[in-house]
Amino acid sequence: MTSLRTEGLSKSFGGVLAVDGATVELREGKINGLIGPNGSGKTTFFNLITGMIRPDAGRVLYRDRDITRHSPHRIAHAGIGRTFQLCRVFPRMTVLENMLVAVRRTRLRELLAGLRDKGEVERARHWLRRMGIEHLEDAEARDLSYGQQKLLELAAVLMAEPELVLLDEPAGGVNPALIDRIVSLVRDLNAEGRTFLVVEHNMDMVMGMCDHVIVFDRGAPIAEGPPSAVRDDPKVLEAYLGV
Amino acid sequence: MRIASRGLPPLVAGLAIAYPFLVPNYYLVYAGALTVMYAAMATSWNLLGGFTGYVSLGHSAFFGLGAYGTGLLVTRMDVPWVVALLVSALLVTVFAVGVGIAAVRVRGASFVIVSIALVSMMNLIVQGWRSLTGGSTGLQVPSPFPDLHRGETHMVFFYLFLALLALALASWWYVSRSRFGAGLRAIREDEDKAESLGVPTGAYKVTAFALSALFVALAGGLYALWFGSLDPIFVFSILIASSMVLMSLLGGVRHLFGPLLGALIVAPAGEYFLIALGETQIHLTATGLVLVLVVLFMPDGILARFSRRRAGPSIPDETAEQRLQGVAP
Repeated sequence: MTSLRTEGLSKSFGGVLAVDGATVELREGKINGLIGPNGSGKTTFFNLITGMIRPDAGRVLYRDRDITRHSPHRIAHAGIGRTFQLCRVFPRMTVLENMLVAVRRTRLRELLAGLRDKGEVERARHWLRRMGIEHLEDAEARDLSYGQQKLLELAAVLMAEPELVLLDEPAGGVNPALIDRIVSLVRDLNAEGRTFLVVEHNMDMVMGMCDHVIVFDRGAPIAEGPPSAVRDDPKVLEAYLGV
Repeated sequence: MRIASRGLPPLVAGLAIAYPFLVPNYYLVYAGALTVMYAAMATSWNLLGGFTGYVSLGHSAFFGLGAYGTGLLVTRMDVPWVVALLVSALLVTVFAVGVGIAAVRVRGASFVIVSIALVSMMNLIVQGWRSLTGGSTGLQVPSPFPDLHRGETHMVFFYLFLALLALALASWWYVSRSRFGAGLRAIREDEDKAESLGVPTGAYKVTAFALSALFVALAGGLYALWFGSLDPIFVFSILIASSMVLMSLLGGVRHLFGPLLGALIVAPAGEYFLIALGETQIHLTATGLVLVLVVLFMPDGILARFSRRRAGPSIPDETAEQRLQGVAP
């Protein structure tokens, strides 16, 4: 079953064509990897899916529903969560407050209710525990190390209960022990039924973790399939090595 | 320490209520009413500026519209003053929703410029529409308490502004502890990130903008009834909004009582400069200088200096790693 499908998605910035008619299909319940050389349009593709930027052409369908021109918060409500290439948390809010910002519903009564709703706080603590940072709940996010912020960012995304999670370079700037932890978390979360799309430059991580890999070059997919097949694809080697 | 800080707000509230009876003359009651008016407006401004980080210099427009709306309803339509005040504030709020939808699409310096344009437009419209507003000659509004002498009127308006301040503070407090408030603070920290977590940032910003405008419009309406004479150049002056910004920044935009503290310093200081230096532009220069110094050296305000940090300056990575590997920190 298809989780998300893009059809002829295009975006240019001035004269630069960042994403060029990308047609991609993500399978439900799989860990999908998105790789490609620098500047191949991976992050722009992410931003197009999540509504951060509007496409010039093409469509984004999530579970057969057209979400192309939806605002990012509506896309989040639809069940798509994302992290950012450069880790982003709310620096002057506590770890717990960072978690409680995530909004699943927008009923007025719920919005005006106290922030520290018992059920929501428990849910936040559950995710913080799974990330191993529950002891930091009262610390301001800016006081956390980069690795801890990465975990917090992922925890906050999960707080919104997404079915499809987009991770933009989750291993970027973190130590090997934490990378192993993130891989393990992604696998566990996937086993619980979540679909992932992971942009990553760490090939060991991608090849070891993903079920399906899509390779981007010059704004469009040039190859896709299981990691073993993609690794030996001549088009992929050409894109990466220029041979 | 905690008992002392908890006991402080009721003590200050008690002193505020007793203030008109503690001071020796009506001039100080007048100065007190002016200070409380600015405190209410700065706290209202902070519903937008403090929570979302959007710096509006356009709130003078809501002050002026609230003042003119109330004045016109009383003078042209003989509406009772309380009804005029409330209807005018509601109309300004509806107007603010419309303005907000357009204005909060832009961020940072662009938003500041849009807000300045709003004040300028309102000023020109009110001055140009002579048949309705009286143009540059202003609008005279009859006192709602004609039987009271001027000093007693100051006292009545002192308490009316105090009630408005209490309402604005209660609103800020209520919002600050709600999920809505958390969303607004998230907008201040990182708007795109907040949006990606499902926060409808546009709706949140417009709501904060309108709520903020509502209280400022009420202050404008009370001002019209109190002063009885409206000068469009003053009520639609950027200086009024600048004062709200300065008071909030000086006291601390992240704190409930920050704008109030700022108003308690800036408003009496302004009044002092006015008396000491006369009706010249020098007292404005002094105000501008204070604003520059606050932004440069105390961007988080006075109260930030006294607020307790919840954690140390940094939490080392090792702690997380140790925990991840099951080692006690």
